Amino acid sequence: MKRLPFPRDVGLDLLTLGILFIILLPILWVFLASVRPDSDIASGGWIPQRFTIRHYQEIIAFPGFLVALKNSLIVGVTVAVITTTMAVPAAYALSRLSFRGRNLVALIILGTQMLPSVAVLVPLVVIVRQIGLSNTLVALIFTHLSLGMPIAVWMLRGYIERVPRELEEAALIDGCSRIGAMVRVVLPLIRPAIVAVGTFAFVLSWGEFILALALISKADTKTLPLVLQGLFDPYSFSWGRVMAGGTTIALPTILLFLVFRKQLVGGLLAGGVKG
Amino acid sequence: MATAIGPSVPAQGPVERSTLDRMLPYGLVAPAVFVAFAIAVVPMGYVLWLSLQDWYLLRRPAPVWGGLINYNQLFHDASLWAAFGRTWIWTIGTVFVELFLGVPIALLFNRESSVSRTASALILLPWVTPFVVLGFGWRFLLDGDVGPIQGILRMLGISGTGSVLNDPVRALIAIIIISGWKGMPFMVIAVLAALKSIPKDIYEAAEVDGAGALRRFYHVTLPAIWNTLLTVGIVLGILAFYSFDLPWIMTRGGPQTATTIVGITIYKAVFQELRPAYAAAISVVMLVLLFVASILALRLRRKD
Repeated sequence: MKRLPFPRDVGLDLLTLGILFIILLPILWVFLASVRPDSDIASGGWIPQRFTIRHYQEIIAFPGFLVALKNSLIVGVTVAVITTTMAVPAAYALSRLSFRGRNLVALIILGTQMLPSVAVLVPLVVIVRQIGLSNTLVALIFTHLSLGMPIAVWMLRGYIERVPRELEEAALIDGCSRIGAMVRVVLPLIRPAIVAVGTFAFVLSWGEFILALALISKADTKTLPLVLQGLFDPYSFSWGRVMAGGTTIALPTILLFLVFRKQLVGGLLAGGVKG
Repeated sequence: MATAIGPSVPAQGPVERSTLDRMLPYGLVAPAVFVAFAIAVVPMGYVLWLSLQDWYLLRRPAPVWGGLINYNQLFHDASLWAAFGRTWIWTIGTVFVELFLGVPIALLFNRESSVSRTASALILLPWVTPFVVLGFGWRFLLDGDVGPIQGILRMLGISGTGSVLNDPVRALIAIIIISGWKGMPFMVIAVLAALKSIPKDIYEAAEVDGAGALRRFYHVTLPAIWNTLLTVGIVLGILAFYSFDLPWIMTRGGPQTATTIVGITIYKAVFQELRPAYAAAISVVMLVLLFVASILALRLRRKD
């Protein structure tokens, strides 16, 4: 295509920025409400004049918030670690080794990606109750593994396929075992991808709502998304406080996403991803 | 997904393969397969069994074989079918909004400039922000007293003094638009990837032939991105069909039942009506309907 005339490029850039601003405005407003005094939210107009960190101090003092933060971190980090330690060997086997039933295995693992949480909510809740794991973080960790596992296998498989086979074959000839070759040759080369899928699994677990809502009802095992509802205090209602809680959940997700964007966009395109 | 099965040539080393070598792949995939079984395959089988039980927690503490009793009740449950009808409106509406916003934005962003590159990254924020945050966020934005977007809607005459979420029809439309806004970025990056793979000289040829922008879109761009639109539309449609978070957090399925989609019906059947077996039967019907709809939608694919 021939080079567009200069003013048209500038015009399209401005249009791009304008549309981006409108699309992101709701999120920006949520953040701004979390740093404005409540009186300004109600009557201070759309452009903030005064800023405060009071809402964040309030949610930290809120009973249950720090417990929920701790629970969310425990669940998220555990899910990230387990997801990657299970996904790496599976991805390696699916991309490098030939074995009977390989296609079926790929189909089973990746097929779970297309299964939304609501579809398996009822059986999961009943099973978890019957084995006595209601209101435990173990149940939440286990069910959250389904969020990131398939996409992790999918993405890592793509990365492993790009590692030249010759590197491993050299190691094998030198007397390395298969697992040795995987750990010493392949893993170091795909380390950025491993960090990215781990981050992704963490983020999906961190913001997950319906499984937590269905499996957890006791205060000491609640996660952050469940505590947000509790921030609606009927006696001293404050939108700023609720938005501060929301920002606390959203900010790590958004920052981690922007850091690992390059690795994750390909993964998003590949597998859909549960919202 | 069929694309999961990629061709990849097995590495046959010169070394003889021992039994240990032959078992190795199974050992490596076993943990992931176990998780997939425990979280997807087993629950799918269990839900089918559960749907054939007679289990109403207020009457029976343990499930008893009930045959088709739940399906029989489900068939005569008018409010459930109303929820199914609403879920289709919700699903098609959400995907429509995603296409309506996503395709033009992708066309606009498909340029070589630092602004459009940055924009294609930042546009993903609604997609990556958790539903729970956006649900509460939009409750604030549409609040009858302080909501800024509610203020704009009032100025435009779209809403009265109360929140749009208090009006049954407007609440459903508002949450559908929000649901589409949240999913739209995924459409944008998928369409962008498809657009980048169209050879530039096809456009030049069309331009030489005197085709205007609209004709070029219809005859060159649309056929090239058609299968992407369809695949992404189905993926996003499945997600919308199983929605729960947004309508639950924003309106609890109300006002009255205006935003009660099947995801909410299932949740209420388990946790409020205490009828897990009935909820299981709804899950099974949902799965069957979605399967049929996806197969029908896939027939719209272009074959080259």
